[in-house]
Amino acid sequence: MYVAVKGGEQAIASAHRWLADRRRGDRDRAEIEVAQIGDQLRLAVDRVMSEASLYDPELAALAFKQASGDLTEAVFLLRAYRTTLPRLAVSEPLDTAGMRIERRISATYKDIPGGQILGPTYDYTHRLLDFLQLAGAEVPPAETRDDVTDAEPCPQILELLNDEGLVEQAIDDGSEPMDITRDPPDYPMERAARLQMLARGDEGYLLALGYSTQRGYGRNHPFAGEIRQGQVEVEIHVEEWDETICVGEIALSECQMINQFGGSREAAPQFTRGYGLAFGHNERKTMAMALVDRALRAEELGEPISGPAQQAEFVLAHADSVDASGFVSHLKLPHYVDFQSELDLLRRLRREHAARQAEVEGARDAASPKPEER
Amino acid sequence: MNGYNFAYLDEQTKRMIRRALLKAVAIPGYQVPFGGREMPMPYGWGTGGVQLTASILGADDILKVIDQGADDTTNAVSIRHFFQRVAGVETTTATTAADVIQTRHRIPETPLRAGQILVFQVPIPEPLRFIEPSEQETRLMHALEEYGVMHVKLYEDIARYGHIATTYAYPVKVDGRYVMDPSPIPKFDNPKLDGNPALMLFGAGREKRLYAIPPYTRVESLDFEDHPFEVQRWEHACALCGSDHSYLDEVITDDQGGRMFVCSDTDYCQSRRGEVA
Amino acid sequence: MAQRERENRERVERETVSAAWPGLADPAHDSQRLFRQILGAMSEPGTLETLVLPAPPSDALGAALWGVVLTLCDLETRVWIAADLDSPALRQALAFHTGARITDDPASADFALLTHDAFDPEMPFALGSDTYPDRGTTLLVAVERLENDSNEARGDTNGWRLSGPGIADSRLLDIGDSPGCRRLMSRLGANRTSFPQGLDMIFGCGARLAAVPRSTRVTRADAKEVN
Repeated sequence: MYVAVKGGEQAIASAHRWLADRRRGDRDRAEIEVAQIGDQLRLAVDRVMSEASLYDPELAALAFKQASGDLTEAVFLLRAYRTTLPRLAVSEPLDTAGMRIERRISATYKDIPGGQILGPTYDYTHRLLDFLQLAGAEVPPAETRDDVTDAEPCPQILELLNDEGLVEQAIDDGSEPMDITRDPPDYPMERAARLQMLARGDEGYLLALGYSTQRGYGRNHPFAGEIRQGQVEVEIHVEEWDETICVGEIALSECQMINQFGGSREAAPQFTRGYGLAFGHNERKTMAMALVDRALRAEELGEPISGPAQQAEFVLAHADSVDASGFVSHLKLPHYVDFQSELDLLRRLRREHAARQAEVEGARDAASPKPEER
Repeated sequence: MNGYNFAYLDEQTKRMIRRALLKAVAIPGYQVPFGGREMPMPYGWGTGGVQLTASILGADDILKVIDQGADDTTNAVSIRHFFQRVAGVETTTATTAADVIQTRHRIPETPLRAGQILVFQVPIPEPLRFIEPSEQETRLMHALEEYGVMHVKLYEDIARYGHIATTYAYPVKVDGRYVMDPSPIPKFDNPKLDGNPALMLFGAGREKRLYAIPPYTRVESLDFEDHPFEVQRWEHACALCGSDHSYLDEVITDDQGGRMFVCSDTDYCQSRRGEVA
Repeated sequence: MAQRERENRERVERETVSAAWPGLADPAHDSQRLFRQILGAMSEPGTLETLVLPAPPSDALGAALWGVVLTLCDLETRVWIAADLDSPALRQALAFHTGARITDDPASADFALLTHDAFDPEMPFALGSDTYPDRGTTLLVAVERLENDSNEARGDTNGWRLSGPGIADSRLLDIGDSPGCRRLMSRLGANRTSFPQGLDMIFGCGARLAAVPRSTRVTRADAKEVN
């Protein structure tokens, strides 16, 4: 006799144990330490922090380990933890101009005040598998130059264009930005809210959208004005002391794209900006974000909306990997009831179709003389 | 559970949801935007319902969780377990014993009573979404009570198939004003929405919308004079309890095409069998 | 030294406030219990709920409305207070227990605290918009009385008949017969013409509470049925 599927609870518990066993792998090998992940897989950790919008390298590394290296799952783990945290203070706006630079390049000027600093980049590595790493070869320490890290802060390239009024100014009007972690989306969204959504958006998704603008779906002539990475101080204002104090440093990547703008009757022609910012070393993400940010400004700048990357509601509503992976994966949940509804209707439609066909054929047979009567 | 507040959500989040719930009740069928939070389960797996339940649940409440009408499907088990852990509440499978029932895709067969609250998990709260993908547009359509497109869509079905081809998440009109998605319940359950003595709350976590049908509210399924709304019927009775009036799941019993039909509402089926025995 | 003294004085004031204007003893569970009663009242317009919590020192406000404030207000909400309920003690208590922001502009208030006497239908509370009808002020109004029984039995005819969502057939509600009470109920009756925009009201009378949202149809109880 049929017995409805039972024991869900036990099945779930068993699945969890199996998962933990798989994650641990071969017990003869040392278990990966969270500190090793933070140290040696730092780009994965940076991506997890960015998309989870929580700056905590240790917990991001833990999430990465717990997720067996599944970045989307790790982002989700850290994001779910983030929502349970109390909000103790709101920081002052970060001053990326005061960044302690690790890397800083501009594609618009050959020589820039403060210099071009390549930093620890994969850019000019030849993508040849390094078999020495299989054998665990020693890695010599990097050369350091004290005068670079201790140098005066490098000015931001786009601000150099300001003198001539060649680039639009982003002016803080003092209004309180919407907080996407507290308030439900309300379209159309202001740029501050859009940037928040892009900053925690899935890197692959933003990359594809940014790429699409380069191929003509909402093209806006980008130049990588400046890309910088390094440490930035986080400050909070303490009311009681009426003082602003530094509570620590975080690693950031920032990209400022310069884009063309034709100007209008009122406004003289000027370069416009696209902006990207992410935790840690996350250059690809910030570049893609800057392209998409600029594309989303089409309406504001009076440009025709022709490409998917320019459609704000489409871009923003689908950018979050926690949303997207949740809803795609929910298809794994039982849908017996809905499916039964569809089955029922489909069978009925097919019965009716067959009956109609039979009727049509019956009528045709009746109209034409039967073969033996011919 | 150590380190987390009663029912998981912090009090400020609960207050935000509670304020939104009162507006939802005051404007039946209207989707109230709310600051939905990430939950420790994926979006699409009931986070909207879970946030609503967490905001209304009290220590003395008895909770029932069903998915596809059943108490023992894995996600129902998982959500029930979550609330046992974070709120320490008593749980039940008996519809009549529950104060709060969280559900996915079904309304229990046993009639609900006054004072009970039914919380629906909703994937896509916007009934017009598959006709008009833009939120700005659909918001305007609701504001202007411009629901003609919905009727056109349903009528196109009739023209093409001879029937309205929507079999679940069948749109309803609440108190003669808002067109509402009742969540993907089979249209079989739609008549239970009308004049129900229980309070019905709907939560969409990913889409950050919640809405409500107060008790004893007029809820009509959209239809046409020449194609009145009708619900599914089966030629079979439940193979377990013999019910000829409940929603049935088709179960494949062998690879020869053998199948049987059983109640999707496991509690209803079991209590009927208990009465017979 | 002066700073220390000031801090001490502020602390004493705070403690006095918290003693006189009671908060919820067990915030998570008390506010849940009260919310379910408020939700019940809003879901079934006109039904009476009795809220159990320590009464505030203001009889004019009453325990029920103070309970609503403690349950629903926090630093994300703006509260408007009518002159006849306003006091430095209430403001301090609101700030201390909820962190709610006080506003002078009724149109920006999430909640408005007032008595039936103070109600004027011309007050510019937020009604929400057709696209966002939820963005309206919820009025918390102290009224003369809250009764469901037949008014004729008591020899007066000042009740109101409610129908619509949350009401199986119809329900009588009597909030008193002062001019303010009549203004309140006729304003609620006018909600139907602006729906989905409108005012939602929660009435308090001591520890008793009832609600009438904008979805409710309101007519005079003694009005002859008009066909």
